[in-house]
Amino acid sequence: MKLLKDIFTDKHTALVFRVVLGIIFVYASMDKIAHPQDFSQIIYNYKILPSFLVNIFAITLPWVELICGLFLIGGIFLESSSLLIFILLLVFTIATSFNVFIRGIDIQCGCFTTSLVAKKQGVELVIRDLLFLLMSLQVFLFNRNFATLPGFYQRILYRWLLK
Amino acid sequence: MNRKSRFSNTALKAVIIVCAGFVIGILNNTFSRNGIELIGERGNKTVSDSLIVPHDYQPDAPEVVNLSQALESFKSREVVFLDCRLKEDYDLGHISGAVNLPWEEFEEYYPQLKSSLLESRGIIAYCDGDECELSLLLARELAELGYENVKIFFGGWVEWKKAGLPIEK
Repeated sequence: MKLLKDIFTDKHTALVFRVVLGIIFVYASMDKIAHPQDFSQIIYNYKILPSFLVNIFAITLPWVELICGLFLIGGIFLESSSLLIFILLLVFTIATSFNVFIRGIDIQCGCFTTSLVAKKQGVELVIRDLLFLLMSLQVFLFNRNFATLPGFYQRILYRWLLK
Repeated sequence: MNRKSRFSNTALKAVIIVCAGFVIGILNNTFSRNGIELIGERGNKTVSDSLIVPHDYQPDAPEVVNLSQALESFKSREVVFLDCRLKEDYDLGHISGAVNLPWEEFEEYYPQLKSSLLESRGIIAYCDGDECELSLLLARELAELGYENVKIFFGGWVEWKKAGLPIEK
């Protein structure tokens, strides 16, 4: 148990989580940036946002994801970017759960053959989101500004000044 | 740095990131080729009520519904939408929640869907649009098999998509 705790609070773990989350977010944002129309349709289908906000969200959200992802990888504004990623993931998780647990029931009543499969995917999606949430929380709490780009440049600058 | 100022520092940077994303997103959307309107009117669109009927429609064939009737059924979530186009077309996009039953491969697909179709309270068949009569053939076949509440949405995929109604891929 102590080992597990040590691993979870370790800065190296934070680095790994940070890079993994960063890559996932950058990758996820690419397709959305390229296809705003499709993405807005997906947001619309969630039926959570009022429709006049859907397009604005579809246009800007992927860019926030992209910046957060890049900052996470590079270790820039680490606390803020991991906090934002945490908030984004929280919103996604709530939205997906809403879809799975509330609309999932509806789909079953419609008696689709695909409903069972879809539901299973939905639950998996929620579990995956929760896992990412945990990772982002870990990064937020235990990153200790380890292996960041700003730190790297700072060190180079100091070395140069002390020469 | 004390805890409070550290927190507000983090919050401030978070706001900066969000604002940057917002500005870049809007700029990119303005200059991008596939940019979309900032404020969409999706869903509030008035749905046209024109009824599209097949050319060789016969009075004894299953009932044809227009877009707004199809939408009503869609919202009630009580009917199954059957997409009778080929799987390739279905995979490229279809009405949200629709089930694929290609007319050309009816024998192959039907047995798998039979139980859920028997349970459903109604079926709406559709295909591409008014050029395509597969939905008519499929609905007729299903009616002959004994299904009662079978309807045809002849405007099909094209009309549904044009109206900006929920789709999935």
